[in-house]
Amino acid sequence: MQARRLPAEQAMLARYRAMVLIRRFEERVQSLFRAGRVPGLTHLCIGQEAVAAGVCSALRPGDRIASTHRGHGHSLAMGADPDRLMAEILGRETGYGGGRGGSMHVFDAANGNLGTNGIVGGAVPLGLGAALAARNAGKGAVAVAFFGDGAMNQGVVLECFNMAALWRLPLILVCEHNGYGEFTASDDVTAGELSARGAAFDLPVQDIDGMDVEAVHQATAAAVDSARQGGGPGLLFCRAWRFSGHHAGDGQDYKDDAESRAWRARDPIPRQRARLIDEGLETDESLTALEAEISDRVQAAARRALGAPEPSGPLHEKLFA
Amino acid sequence: MQTTEKMALWQRMLLMRRFEERVIALAGKGHVAGHYHVYIGQEATGAAVIDALGPADMLFSTHRNHGHFIARGADPAAALAEILGRATGCNGGMGGSLHLADPQLGMPHTSAVLGGAPALAMGAGFEMARSGGDRIAVAFFGDGALEEGLALEALNMAALWKLPVLFVCENNSAGAIGAAKGGYPGSIIGTERLTALPAAFNIRHVSLDGNHMEGLRAAASDARKALIAGEGPVFMETNTPRWFGNQGLWPDLRHGPVDIGMATGETPLPGGPDADWFAAHDPILRGARELVAAGVPLSALHQADARITADMDAAEALALAAPFPDRAAALRNIFAGQST
Amino acid sequence: MTATQTQVTFREAVIEALAEEMARDRNVLLIGEDVGAAGGVFHQTKGLFDQFGPIRVIDTPISEAGFIGMAVGAAMSGLRPVTEVMFGDFITLGMDLLVNQAAKVHWMSDGQYRVPLVVRTAVGIGAATGPQHAQSFHAWFAHVPGLKVVFPSNPADAKALMKGAIRDDNPVIFFEDRMSYGMRGSVGGADHVLPPGQAAVARPGRDISLIALGQMVPRALDAATRLASAGIEAEVIDLRSLVPLDEGIIAQTVRRTNRALVLDPGCIGFGASAEIAARVQELAFDWLDAPVARMGAAQVPVPFSPALESRVLPDGAAIAARAAAMVTGRQEGEAA
Repeated sequence: MQARRLPAEQAMLARYRAMVLIRRFEERVQSLFRAGRVPGLTHLCIGQEAVAAGVCSALRPGDRIASTHRGHGHSLAMGADPDRLMAEILGRETGYGGGRGGSMHVFDAANGNLGTNGIVGGAVPLGLGAALAARNAGKGAVAVAFFGDGAMNQGVVLECFNMAALWRLPLILVCEHNGYGEFTASDDVTAGELSARGAAFDLPVQDIDGMDVEAVHQATAAAVDSARQGGGPGLLFCRAWRFSGHHAGDGQDYKDDAESRAWRARDPIPRQRARLIDEGLETDESLTALEAEISDRVQAAARRALGAPEPSGPLHEKLFA
Repeated sequence: MQTTEKMALWQRMLLMRRFEERVIALAGKGHVAGHYHVYIGQEATGAAVIDALGPADMLFSTHRNHGHFIARGADPAAALAEILGRATGCNGGMGGSLHLADPQLGMPHTSAVLGGAPALAMGAGFEMARSGGDRIAVAFFGDGALEEGLALEALNMAALWKLPVLFVCENNSAGAIGAAKGGYPGSIIGTERLTALPAAFNIRHVSLDGNHMEGLRAAASDARKALIAGEGPVFMETNTPRWFGNQGLWPDLRHGPVDIGMATGETPLPGGPDADWFAAHDPILRGARELVAAGVPLSALHQADARITADMDAAEALALAAPFPDRAAALRNIFAGQST
Repeated sequence: MTATQTQVTFREAVIEALAEEMARDRNVLLIGEDVGAAGGVFHQTKGLFDQFGPIRVIDTPISEAGFIGMAVGAAMSGLRPVTEVMFGDFITLGMDLLVNQAAKVHWMSDGQYRVPLVVRTAVGIGAATGPQHAQSFHAWFAHVPGLKVVFPSNPADAKALMKGAIRDDNPVIFFEDRMSYGMRGSVGGADHVLPPGQAAVARPGRDISLIALGQMVPRALDAATRLASAGIEAEVIDLRSLVPLDEGIIAQTVRRTNRALVLDPGCIGFGASAEIAARVQELAFDWLDAPVARMGAAQVPVPFSPALESRVLPDGAAIAARAAAMVTGRQEGEAA
């Protein structure tokens, strides 16, 4: 895991680095998908990189996250090895699950990742359990549960809001509010304001610009600090946009073009890039070099994954511990 | 409300009470198999809300359903027979106390799983919103049901689609002694006010005295008008202090059947820690006092009580005389269209 | 095994197991509705809250999906939760968390995460609890790859199996029959642990194998007593676990008695009895002298009326009659 206890300017760069890694990685997955090399479904988080990078940079070793079907970014932000992540997405033996799980089921225990998840809202009860374990361990660790706005209509998610609030567990609930649940606009399936649902359980709610990695980071850091000190859970609504749609093959005919253009103008990556240069922390040349290095890293990951063997072990292996 | 209307409502409440006192007595004699839950102390809510409904409205109740069922006009003999597991019961003995239902009364099915009523009522409301006909669906449920995600999913969909659903949350957590002392706990929700939950879904909501029949009747009537006008669901929290006999896990009728004479002091109130419930909260006595204040002589209330008691005697005799179901009964109706 | 001399009830046996394991390992905790201060609606967790406090014994809201899922997440994070679902029927509210999460995590993560979780739930036909509070869905869970399923029939096994389930690194669904809660028996000491997957011979015999689970075991023993008075020696196998299924003991008994009657407290249709009967044929077809037979819960929701409910499961007399007919059939065949 990166960006832990770094001086502020280095941390800003680290968040930029994480976002560029996620973007390049997802673009590579997309091109592999279009070339027919990715089996099944895969969900990209292009446009939402600031949430993954901003939230995870507020964590430290010992903290845990539980992620969603759109979880490559969270995994990378927690320090996942791009080689093993790409291999899992391609269903190869060298992947995090040996090809058993794929994109929606990436587990990385060493980095505290309880898994991406194929069930909408699935991360929330798991994150709640990790928060319970953290509380019982008494070492000030926290857990993060990521979920989308679509998950806000799952009863189990609201049950978990109640329990987290009731027991003041160190759980950071991060709603990546990208406006759509699958192909349906959130407003079309949601009564009332989503943030009111957190307030109904007396959860402290923060409404955040999810396209600004520093805003996400600061809000998360505040919630995490409070949770570490026994202040209980927090709910963060990070407003963001899925540039690449629900899944890699989504034509996005259901979205309004003007609205999409407006969101693209707020792309978190150029925004952070400009901030680093404006504040004199980096130069165009240094960032260009960094971006090239990241691109090479992702290309290498794709090359290695494509060259990795298909799994061949017995099907039943590791069914039970 | 006219005094005659109030008197009719009060008599319905008294029938609900006399019915359940009878259930407790029969259970004491070993006639009731399994666990059961009573509605004593909450009669004003069920009677008033159900009185405001139309004949084609639908109701969905809970494990604590006896009162709603009687309030809707169920035959006490058929209800009692069901609780005793008899073939003449409203469900033929298949459901028991937890599942009293009768499609003819607009109560097609009673789920004893918490959160069931709001979801089923939402479904009925969904149909009504499409077919029209000035009908509404009502869900009765306790405060604990709001701990189930299913209930909250139902609130969202009802609000989203502006369905004609009246959510009646009967909050009987006041006076609960809690599981720690061998009783039922109140709800375990991380919020001070239950109405914060419907508010989060933009659902019109109101919190009421659950023992004030006139206020409840007026609120339910208003709610029904709004629902039929297509304004979307209404959430009504009705607050009733828990009946002392419902604090433990089994109903405890420790002072025997209520004596209407207690309303005026004709009969002294029981002493001890339960006195306050009789003096301040019992909706039957409270209603009786209001009627007496409106000029109805206590003797008229006693006469009504005598008729109701005679009806209950007859219902009890019928239920006790009824046969248990035959073996084939369990195999019938597993599927619709089944020949055997 | 050091047997304690005092007789305890089934209910107390499970409490002993929980108390011993919670004392032994501070990561073990109990989560569920009314399990804490109230001591459980069936008194099945009595005393644990006083002994271990609210951090280890957690009273939940009525949110089955939420707290089962919480237990899965906690298990992945190093705790060993025992989660209680008050009535087996209510497990339906938390199925996603068991089937899509708990069962699959170890396998999908290529072994990175373990889910040492016990879900204990009370089922039981015979208490007039009606159609939503009595049915046993153990076969559903046995069908899901990655879940273990156990169903003890007596206090000793209940205690040892609960300890074994807690120490198992996998999700274990632990079925208890409420009708057995008052059953008394001696139990093993703190070091007597029975891992899932071992059946037992509850009564030896040579003429027919009654292969039984849960509440069907006492009924099978009753049948065996009746059969003995008619000169038929039935062997009663208490499966104790459905997953893993003890194929060794099944093969061994059927190859010796040449007849198998499978007895399951769940519904017959597509039930556990069907799977066990199929295994018997795979393991011992050449030894069979009669078609494998099975008896279990009638294929109906559990009716409320005691007059009907009492007929859902076959009793000892009905089992004995069926077994006798199977054995008598062999004798007639030999005579011909």
